Amino acid sequence: MTQQIETGTVMTIESDDEFRARIRQWFADNRPAKRPRDPAERKSWVRAYHARMYDARMTGPSWPLEYGGMGLSFAQQVIYQEELAKARVPSPLGTGLGIVAPTIITYGTDEQKQRWLGPMLRQDLIWCQGYSEPGAGSDLPALRTTARREDDFYVVNGQKVWTTHATDADVFFTLVRTGTQESRQKGITYLIIDAHAPGVTVRPLKDITGGEHFAEVFFDDVRVPIADRIGEENQGWPLVRTSLGHERAAGAMNQATNYRRILDELIALARERGLTTDPLTRDRLADFEIRVRLMKYNASRIINDIIAHGEPGPASSVSRLFITMFEQELHEFAVEMLGADGIVTRDSERAIQRGRWLTGFLGSRASTIGAGTSEIQRNTIAEQVLGLPRDPAMPAR
Amino acid sequence: MITGWTDDHEELRAVVRRFLSEKSSTEKARELAIAGAVGDQAVWRQMAEQMDLQGLVIPEEFGGAGMGAVELGVVLEEMGRALYVGPYFSTVALAVQTLTAVGDRAAQARWLPRIAAGELTATVAIADDAPSFDLTAVTATATASRDGWSVSGAKAFVIDGMTADLILVAARTDGDLGLFALAGDAAGLHREAVPTVDETRALARVELDAVPAVRVGDDATQTLARAGDLAAAALAAEQIGGAAAALDMAVDYAKMRVQFERPIGSFQAIKHRCADLKVQIESGRSAAFFAAALLDDGDPEAAIAASTAQAWCSAAYTKASKENIQFHGGIGYTWECDAHLYLRRATVSDIVLGAPRAHRARIAELVEM
Ligand SMILES: Cc1cc2nc3c(=O)[nH]c(=O)nc-3n(C[C@H](O)[C@H](O)[C@H](O)COP(=O)(O)OP(=O)(O)OC[C@H]3O[C@@H](n4cnc5c(N)ncnc54)[C@H](O)[C@@H]3O)c2cc1C
Repeated sequence: MTQQIETGTVMTIESDDEFRARIRQWFADNRPAKRPRDPAERKSWVRAYHARMYDARMTGPSWPLEYGGMGLSFAQQVIYQEELAKARVPSPLGTGLGIVAPTIITYGTDEQKQRWLGPMLRQDLIWCQGYSEPGAGSDLPALRTTARREDDFYVVNGQKVWTTHATDADVFFTLVRTGTQESRQKGITYLIIDAHAPGVTVRPLKDITGGEHFAEVFFDDVRVPIADRIGEENQGWPLVRTSLGHERAAGAMNQATNYRRILDELIALARERGLTTDPLTRDRLADFEIRVRLMKYNASRIINDIIAHGEPGPASSVSRLFITMFEQELHEFAVEMLGADGIVTRDSERAIQRGRWLTGFLGSRASTIGAGTSEIQRNTIAEQVLGLPRDPAMPAR
Repeated sequence: MITGWTDDHEELRAVVRRFLSEKSSTEKARELAIAGAVGDQAVWRQMAEQMDLQGLVIPEEFGGAGMGAVELGVVLEEMGRALYVGPYFSTVALAVQTLTAVGDRAAQARWLPRIAAGELTATVAIADDAPSFDLTAVTATATASRDGWSVSGAKAFVIDGMTADLILVAARTDGDLGLFALAGDAAGLHREAVPTVDETRALARVELDAVPAVRVGDDATQTLARAGDLAAAALAAEQIGGAAAALDMAVDYAKMRVQFERPIGSFQAIKHRCADLKVQIESGRSAAFFAAALLDDGDPEAAIAASTAQAWCSAAYTKASKENIQFHGGIGYTWECDAHLYLRRATVSDIVLGAPRAHRARIAELVEM
């Protein structure tokens, strides 16, 4: 397949193979430097690398060209994701770029697009998602953070929680209540809040791994210009579901590539320690081998469906649950396999590979919670894919 | 390589599904099972004459349609759904694919056109004591004389062994391991039905006392591995069709059955398990598809993919057929309900071409774990 691409002002025709070669070459020429250990240094290292990618038009695969993205065809996005995974590019700081960017592209004003999109990709502005609240997780429409109109401002009061990377944030994209509590999702507004504004307090939360990867965020009479609202007042809820192209589906291939590498590392470790001759260990490892292959097959099928029918098809709705279960069980098994060495942290001399399997074991508990719990996922598959009836006790959607 | 079904495949699927729903419903399966799981002659003929199904993977020069493992997978997924009863799996997935894998042109010219025409049924027996392609489990022997070959030994579980016109068996010669063709009614061949828990698929024990045979190909050690992989991919497709049908049945019932003034499908205890089955089944469909596609492509990963599909789809079918019974409650435990037919088929399918654990062991070997 060939694809017409625009690079600056010149139009060129590039085949998928040429495209892959170009991407691979770029990452080879621009290999990320060694990951600094100091957290502050690491952050500037990540930002600098993404700025370099942006300036070379190597980031934002699915984003339109006019907003600084790569404007790739879907097939090329898949290739890009595979090469990205191989190049071991550090993930961008902040979260939810794949959520907030499409929302701004679809519902934002021209001025908002100009102001936010490029800097978002370039990591000049770090974005974080402020949706969840202490009383509103799965039941997000129960949220209580309020925004009251005062002249050209909203005055925001309330609390968000589990906000990933909030300590790095320059901007939060949030959902706030502008209607009554009873109006539920009909009284919610989508607001972009400056993380450095007076009245914003970010308090890091220590997580299960001992790290501080998320935080709680307090808003105390924070004044947010009305111009920073996306869409209309009280009309924020439908914006939550926006998604751009099929970036997620292409990302499934990236994940399959990643887990292939992780499993290979685990098998190598098992072999090194003479464990692959144990029939039980072999059987479990073979089971993971099966699943990591299925992950790739599922991803390929989703990609095929999108290319052939424009829709990701049934394999896509199940692939996330498949991956989250795999991720947890793989790490659980790694720790079990390592026995006593598996339970010591990186601070111990006996730690295997700096305790990465133990960290993964703890860290992967989040994979069935964050971004919607697996129970909520199962509800969605049961209702939307299998057509089973909704629980009558649940409020209307 | 294609990475998913095309519109042509979907069309084939729709045609086969319609045909089976008219000619071979699960009610029919039940009747045929009681009658000994031989199949319906009229339906068999229509499959050959109107649909070209027996000839699906037979090369065109031998009267077939020249399709590959992917297309066979589509057909078998539908047969698995419908619990089709008849010698299709044995004749096509086992015998035809073995004949093409072994690549003996004289043998192909002799039997494939008649199979394509629906005139000849066939089966394969490799391991002595299981219906698998495990060559280490072959002790039957073949001896050459001036009159040709003769085979002695026993094959304990031959699929459709009671009725097959042609039986391909593996046997040891002085030097190597060969594949031999025997007529189902040959002198010295004694066959006896082996009742198993799956009444929709007939198995037989075949005893061979110096049965005259035709040798097919030379040393078959290498080629039978491919035949085994093709059979494994085909069975995986059939299994995942059965698993999908069991889930559909469960979902339909859960939408309809009301307890505590609401459909039971609105309870998460049911819903979530259906969702988990869906995850397992869709992944199984990917597995069966890729096993077939990689085999068609002659990809070096095909053997691993075939065992991957076998291990995964076996487990998916077993799980789905059990859950289907559970979600049907008391009705699910009755003879009248079709649910047990799927469990029966799943239980036998789980081991006919090697148990999941054996396939995982093979994968560990193949990836040099
Ligand atoms: C590592 C991590 C990072 C996160 N990052 C962010 C972030 O950046 N921004 C942000 O806004 N949020 C973030 N979250 C929050 C996350 O989105 C919520 O934790 C999640 O939506 C679940 O909400 P909850 O924690 O309130 O759990 P609850 O909704 O209280 O759920 C508790 C338990 O009840 C179950 N449950 C709830 N409702 C139902 C139901 N209807 N049926 C069956 N079971 C049900 C859940 O599945 C769960 O097992 C993060 C969470 C984690 C773990």
